[in-house]
Amino acid sequence: MNLQADNIALHGRTFLVGDKIKPLCLQACVLLIPFVIFGVFLLFYGVNPVQLYISMVRSTFGDLYGFGEVLLKTTPILLTGLAAALPARAGLINVGGEGQLAIGALFSTWCAVFYLERFPSWAGIPLMLAAGALGGAVWAGITAFLKIKGKLNETITSLLLNYVATFTVGLFVHGLLKDPKSFNWPFSPEIAPALRLPVVDGTRLHAGIAIALALVLVVWFILYKTRIGFRIRVLGSNYLAAERAGFKVNKMYFWVLIAAGALAGIAGMIEIAGIEGRLRPTTGVNYGYLGFLAAWMAWNHPLRLAVSAFVLGMISVAGNSLEIGSGLPSSSVYILMALVLFFMLGSGRRLKR
Amino acid sequence: MKVTRKSADTCILRTEGLTKRFGSLIANKEIDLEIKPGSIHAILGENGAGKSTLMKMLYGVYEPDGGKIYMDGEVVSLHPPIKAKAKGIGMVFQDFRLIPAMTVLDNIALAVSDGGWRLKRKQLRERILKVSAKYGLSVDPDAYVWQLDLGERQRLEIVKVLLVPGTRIIIFDEPTSVLVPQEVESFLRMLDLLRKDGYGIVLITHKINEVLACADQVTVLRSGQITFRATREEGLEEEALIAAMMGAGTLKPVVKHAGDAKEERQTVLRIERGTIIGNHGETVLKDIELSLKQGEITGVAGISGSGQRELAETLFGLRGLSSGRLTIDGKEMTADTKSFMDAGVSFVSEDPLRESVIPGFTILEHMVLDGIPMKPKRAGIDWPYVRRLLENSEEARALALADADRRADQLSGGNVQRMVLARALIRQPKILIISYPSRGLDIGTTHTIQQQLVTLAERGTAVLLFSEDLDELFKLSDRLIVLSGKRLLGPYRPSETNAAEIGFRMLKGESA
Amino acid sequence: MIADILTGAFRSGTSVMLASQGELISERAGVINLGTEGSMLAGALGGFAVTVWTGSPWLGVLAGGCCGLVISALHAFLVLSRNANQLATGLTILFFGTGVTSFFGRGFVSKEIVGFNPVPVPYLSDIPFLGKILFDHDPLTYISILLVPCLWYLLFRTRLGIILRAAGEREEVLFANGFNPKLVRYAAVMAGGFLAGVGGVQLSVAYTHSWVENMTQGRGVVAVALVIFASWKPERAMFGAYLFGAAQALQLTVQQMKLPISPFFLFMLPYLLTLAALLIVELRQRSRTPEALGKVFAGNSNG
Repeated sequence: MNLQADNIALHGRTFLVGDKIKPLCLQACVLLIPFVIFGVFLLFYGVNPVQLYISMVRSTFGDLYGFGEVLLKTTPILLTGLAAALPARAGLINVGGEGQLAIGALFSTWCAVFYLERFPSWAGIPLMLAAGALGGAVWAGITAFLKIKGKLNETITSLLLNYVATFTVGLFVHGLLKDPKSFNWPFSPEIAPALRLPVVDGTRLHAGIAIALALVLVVWFILYKTRIGFRIRVLGSNYLAAERAGFKVNKMYFWVLIAAGALAGIAGMIEIAGIEGRLRPTTGVNYGYLGFLAAWMAWNHPLRLAVSAFVLGMISVAGNSLEIGSGLPSSSVYILMALVLFFMLGSGRRLKR
Repeated sequence: MKVTRKSADTCILRTEGLTKRFGSLIANKEIDLEIKPGSIHAILGENGAGKSTLMKMLYGVYEPDGGKIYMDGEVVSLHPPIKAKAKGIGMVFQDFRLIPAMTVLDNIALAVSDGGWRLKRKQLRERILKVSAKYGLSVDPDAYVWQLDLGERQRLEIVKVLLVPGTRIIIFDEPTSVLVPQEVESFLRMLDLLRKDGYGIVLITHKINEVLACADQVTVLRSGQITFRATREEGLEEEALIAAMMGAGTLKPVVKHAGDAKEERQTVLRIERGTIIGNHGETVLKDIELSLKQGEITGVAGISGSGQRELAETLFGLRGLSSGRLTIDGKEMTADTKSFMDAGVSFVSEDPLRESVIPGFTILEHMVLDGIPMKPKRAGIDWPYVRRLLENSEEARALALADADRRADQLSGGNVQRMVLARALIRQPKILIISYPSRGLDIGTTHTIQQQLVTLAERGTAVLLFSEDLDELFKLSDRLIVLSGKRLLGPYRPSETNAAEIGFRMLKGESA
Repeated sequence: MIADILTGAFRSGTSVMLASQGELISERAGVINLGTEGSMLAGALGGFAVTVWTGSPWLGVLAGGCCGLVISALHAFLVLSRNANQLATGLTILFFGTGVTSFFGRGFVSKEIVGFNPVPVPYLSDIPFLGKILFDHDPLTYISILLVPCLWYLLFRTRLGIILRAAGEREEVLFANGFNPKLVRYAAVMAGGFLAGVGGVQLSVAYTHSWVENMTQGRGVVAVALVIFASWKPERAMFGAYLFGAAQALQLTVQQMKLPISPFFLFMLPYLLTLAALLIVELRQRSRTPEALGKVFAGNSNG
């Protein structure tokens, strides 16, 4: 089986300078329509959409705390977004960010709880980060192995493995990693304070956003400024041509997926060390999928991903206020996100040229 | 030359001033044509003369930009093809319109709709067998199309067209290009049967001897215009046809020096008792012996699908030998493209549009993939260096390569072929594996490419040339091998054999 | 216990089976639809809601099927008319389905319905052992079993089937014969969505008699995987679906028996089994994928 995902990667230089303005306007329109449609949804439920959108903006840009919350949501989406965008450039569709994040969180919590308890911050945090990256990489490694040895389509395996990862985390927080003091609540013991990421005063915002942004730059640099990146883009554009140019295609697929898993795993570690402090069955839930959406909204370009991840982060935060403010389920923001992406996907071909 | 009223009455189809433009290119200019029942009308011309455009207008794929088509004296529109089909025009395509994953019967059922959603399989099978017996077109209704060779596929296409109710005109597009000489004879016999049964036959070809053998009427096209026409009664002269096809400025022949040098050249690549397995685990070639020699062009003949693709892929490390040895300069190779490249092998694949073109990348960027070395500049690539090498390359100039900053996915097929070839040549490879270099190209480009291959061989490269054009193989090769029945036959000296012999081996193997 | 598991295999596997048959139709025509999950969810909610309102589970089936169809029509539109990437679009549809159903489904979470209940086939259900396993099910299960040979006949013995398969192989051939490949694909994707919707109805109206947010739990994804496992053959997809169902049933049985196995292992089992089945099939034989499957469509098909 070989479902070729044609044309998923898009070459960086397709925009001509002169044509830039018009597509940008078009793109803005495309982004507005979903908000209008979602507004109709809201009216249906007796919520005033204009008021709601205003309060959404206010709750996110109104004060430092709100803005910090948006960046907090943006951080994991950025990383799982990279975990989708990087493989997409190599012609792979990795939807496993969700599971890779969960296993990354599991690995880093395990290390933090059992080995790193007495470590100072400067050594403990990087080690915990490495553990998270390793966890994500291992999980992505399963997909990579199945792709290379079994020729199984990575989209389907990584998606199925997400469910397995969720249950694996459940298995651990109900079992080996359960906090003995938790009175039967399923979560892990808290990690040592020295292992927590430094926080900006007056918010919950932690250093994770800096790590994520740095990694965005690294991935961008690798893809567009290095030989290996050139090879990855060739592979993503036409794997037959890559094969005929002497690239070790399977090896590249393998390492790209491993790298993607590591990025998502780091997101898991950041969730633990940044916000939660302990592993719960719900840690990082849906960030993998949000990252995937963000990557596609950015046409898998790392720099544009920074923007789309921020937008999705904002919508997620707004989702919380939606639930509090209007009594709608927070999951209804998925409708909005999906609508945005529908319009992107639906108009993509023409905007790309 | 106006078609006279009188003859028009007996026509099934007649065109008047048919014109088709693609942008600034006029592919067909004011073509007048008539197709009569029970007669073979040959349309003769070189590649790129406008034959296929004309036939696509007759089959309704293209809508003419000017001119009229009459059937039974009335103006008709044939676009889209379904209209042409309903009016009794059948077409046997060169790249057959068949679905490999389905059986012969299913493929025919797709084309022959006799109403009703339920398939009357038994009835259809009987009709297939009846028609195939009548015209000597043996096909097995239950075989899968992927199991058939090209000759069988063509027979299936013809049966399909004949089974469509109301077919009066059958257009054949280069029908003999997929056939070996022996099959051509039976094909011509079948054409004769069809003619006797009153079908109007259009034969599109560039082979003059076929025209001389069977046509009742000939129209010669060059650069989209009619340059000559004649009927059998008026007499068909070979010289006149050639002159009409080629025009005044015929091309110089490909220059080839020292073709029959007697001294034994050095072997650079050798396969000993090699067996190659195909994609579905089937044995494609068994116990083959092959050696490529420095400075020699080895031509590979064979019916399409006889293992050409697999052999080429094996010689570039894309596929491993399942048994046997492959050595380059005495060193044993394993299936690893990189090490083949390092050993000096270059590969121009059968379908460069699919296998070599990277959408969104420029010609320059394509050059560093198995062409100009990917010279490092810090973490990246030294593009100015690559550009310099490309601009100074004699080969790129000789091939009239398009601008280095053009995007490769926006190039025409001919330009893609030039790009891929230029890339392979720039490397000055020790061994060049090249598949169907002139497929679908116009005569000028073909000539350039052939000349480049000869020059390359003279500089010492060992060339393995796959081609379906026996003329090309005889013209260029120092030695010929034939792939047939999972065997590799030969090598033969072109001077010691002929096309008929090679054709026989392609079809029947060594046994005779 | 074995009888329980096998009975459960049918009960639990039917929803996946219906969805995978639907996906099979769609993939045979060349469109891979990961949005099947979304169609199932929409079907589960739509069917449940209509059953609550009207009290008629049969109307629920119709409504659920239509909900699934609407969702898949969205996929078809984006993929066929807007030339979007099939896998990415499918995932977005999956998302959309999750969002829409949790948005509209909140009012139905604690509602109760009569729905479908097992109808034992007279006489046959009295056969010892087998009777209980095979002939004591809800009507949708019987219908779905009958569907498989019908689908096989449709695909391989009718003109419609040939046209459908041709669309999944080479659209230019279909076009040359005067058919509209796009239309065929639209029809196939929407029929697939309808079946996935009915699969969702089976889950909510016949199997669990309830609506829970995101209740399909990846069954739509499993259905897509099973089609590949089945090498695009209806009878093998059925087998795969019941295998998945059996793994689900095993989990319930083991829990009831209070065996010292973590339930999370058992939760994973159906997914791991699906992966293993895929791997085994791929390693044993390279299955023939429909040629056009998963491609980004170029849109204009010319002769």
